[in-house]
Amino acid sequence: MPNTEIITKLLARHDTWRGQSQKPNQRSVSSGNDQIDLLLKGGWPASALTELLVQRPGIGELSLLLPTIKHYCQNNHLSVWLDPPYQPYAPALAAAGIALQKVLIVQSKNPREWLWVAEQCIRNNALLLAWSDNKMPSYSDLRKLQLAAADSGHAAFLFSTNKETSNKSISDNQLCASSPATLRLDIDSVGEKNLRLSVRKLRGVAPGEQLLIARGKDLSSQTSLTKLPVNSIHPAIPISTDIPPPKSREQRLNA
Amino acid sequence: MRIMCCNNSAKQSGIETHLSLSTALALCPDLLTLQQQPEREKTTLQQLALIAYSFSPAVIIAEQGLWLELSGCEKLFHSYSQLLQQLQNNLSLCCSNIDMGVAGSADAARLLYQPGFRCKLPESSELERQIRSTSLSLLRVQRRQQQSFNQLGLNSLEDLLALPRAELASRFGAGIIDQLQLLLGEKPCQLTRFKPPVIFHDLLQSPQGIFSKQGLLFPMKTLLQRLSIYLQARQCYCRKIEWRFEPLIGEPSSMSVTLSGSQSNWSTLLDLSRLQLERIGLPASIETIILSSHDFVDGLPEGLDLLGDSASFDRALDGEQSLESSRLIDSLRARLGPEALQQPALGSNYLPEKAGKVVAPGEHQQLAVEHSGLQPLWLLPKPIAIRRHNQQLFWRQPLYILSGPQRLSDNWWQSDQQRDYYLACDAEGARYWLFKQAGTDRWFVQGLFS
Repeated sequence: MPNTEIITKLLARHDTWRGQSQKPNQRSVSSGNDQIDLLLKGGWPASALTELLVQRPGIGELSLLLPTIKHYCQNNHLSVWLDPPYQPYAPALAAAGIALQKVLIVQSKNPREWLWVAEQCIRNNALLLAWSDNKMPSYSDLRKLQLAAADSGHAAFLFSTNKETSNKSISDNQLCASSPATLRLDIDSVGEKNLRLSVRKLRGVAPGEQLLIARGKDLSSQTSLTKLPVNSIHPAIPISTDIPPPKSREQRLNA
Repeated sequence: MRIMCCNNSAKQSGIETHLSLSTALALCPDLLTLQQQPEREKTTLQQLALIAYSFSPAVIIAEQGLWLELSGCEKLFHSYSQLLQQLQNNLSLCCSNIDMGVAGSADAARLLYQPGFRCKLPESSELERQIRSTSLSLLRVQRRQQQSFNQLGLNSLEDLLALPRAELASRFGAGIIDQLQLLLGEKPCQLTRFKPPVIFHDLLQSPQGIFSKQGLLFPMKTLLQRLSIYLQARQCYCRKIEWRFEPLIGEPSSMSVTLSGSQSNWSTLLDLSRLQLERIGLPASIETIILSSHDFVDGLPEGLDLLGDSASFDRALDGEQSLESSRLIDSLRARLGPEALQQPALGSNYLPEKAGKVVAPGEHQQLAVEHSGLQPLWLLPKPIAIRRHNQQLFWRQPLYILSGPQRLSDNWWQSDQQRDYYLACDAEGARYWLFKQAGTDRWFVQGLFS
């Protein structure tokens, strides 16, 4: 008679992931976008670590979180931005309805401080947005954060640049390794107007499920762009105009 | 040199107060004597007065003790006995042995004081009887007068009060009438009341020296407990505390802990100080630890909100941090240093590099600057000039304009800036905020849309 008790106990643990299980997952925070909520079965997982693997910074990854940040700030929670790659632009945050005094930017000096700050923020009910690019947190570091998030009941977000797609160098890539995060989401851009989210890991969602969302609907050109003195045509879109299509990089360098 | 006070076993050997030291030593050669330290007595009394100050607004520091006026204070504590019970509890943190006397006036209380602390007040008729039966030898009069009391057969206060006042005055001088009036509460007490000092400064000395950061924690805790008594007495909270660690020889080191919220809880302060202590170097052996603070904000201490949590709600509306947030900010600042923490803030200028800035936490001003149009989430610290090859813009990668321009002109009073802002993207879809200086052909990248 095999001892099923251990297995039952293991399965009862909320951090045991069962790929086929379709049971509704844990509490979630609405992302403010119906399509994303649908993909993630309700929104960003609350009381869990979410890893956003971004193809490269600047493709619109942060604007996905703006409604969540706004929601947290309205509930009088602090939102801590740990080691952001650039300075957040205050007028843009204010325009998104985020109370600026609820946003705290923290710069850490070494990986140990980074981890300490991240854990403190999660445990003190703040919304954590952490950029991990040159800190290389290990599996156990991330697990620490995941446990802290599970204890505190708040969502925590981790941004890392997905070098796999941009560099093709897998040897130094930490992201290929497994991660204890509840949700791992790949974000890359398709063309200049769309963003593709693909789920790498989430309970109840098949890995590889994708969603295409449009970004920045407010693109309004006030002038005839073809009259500009610079090239305005994106290479991916074939447009029949009198301006010659852009040359490829090699051609330009040769010229 | 005289004996100021002695314990019971000394009394058994015949020692009593006011004996000269040589007589006392002759009576008991094994006598252990300690020199009186008036300075330390004074500071201890100050500390006790701070504790007493939260029980009564009228606290007077006398030579060897404190006077508290309790009348009118019993409502807050429901009854005198509960007041006294709590007073005893709080005082016993600072001193082990309390003697007390209760009477209708300050001077009478001094006469009636007895060893031990009693939490029950006697009846007023009982008090009256006690004060009347007090021996005249306790009165503060000259020796000659004391002798004439004896010769006249006057033993207790009652005998003295039986005599007509005018006769007393002519016989013993007007001073005795004043004393009697003060004793009976016929004349208000003229002594100056104690007021908490406007700055807090306290120190602990350790003659053996402290050699480790662990060893510092206990004296630091004691000092912080005293600070929190002080804050409670003044009903305020502090914004900043300063520590100074002085060695016997060599350079002292110091650190300051900044607080953003209304925390006067000593354990929070100790945690923050501890975090900061990790970062600084200390002298090898520390002899004196000094805690000082002079940055106070009036306000009710924690847990004294009249209407529960509505006060914290109001604070949130005012844009102040909640208690939890400020606690987090404080501990991050203590561990990482003040320069590691920033908050985004609006500037009063339309040029993007001045419109969005970062400030230290808590230094926000309310600005109502309207910024419209497309704005990126990331701003580069300085606009970076980018190259243009034939018709192709370059910054790391070739860039393509998606929309624009948006004209922005500002700073006309210094160096006129007219810029046309464009939204651009690269082949991989990352979006940039570019501008071209009007009238020139210079392009800059200023931000990233994220």
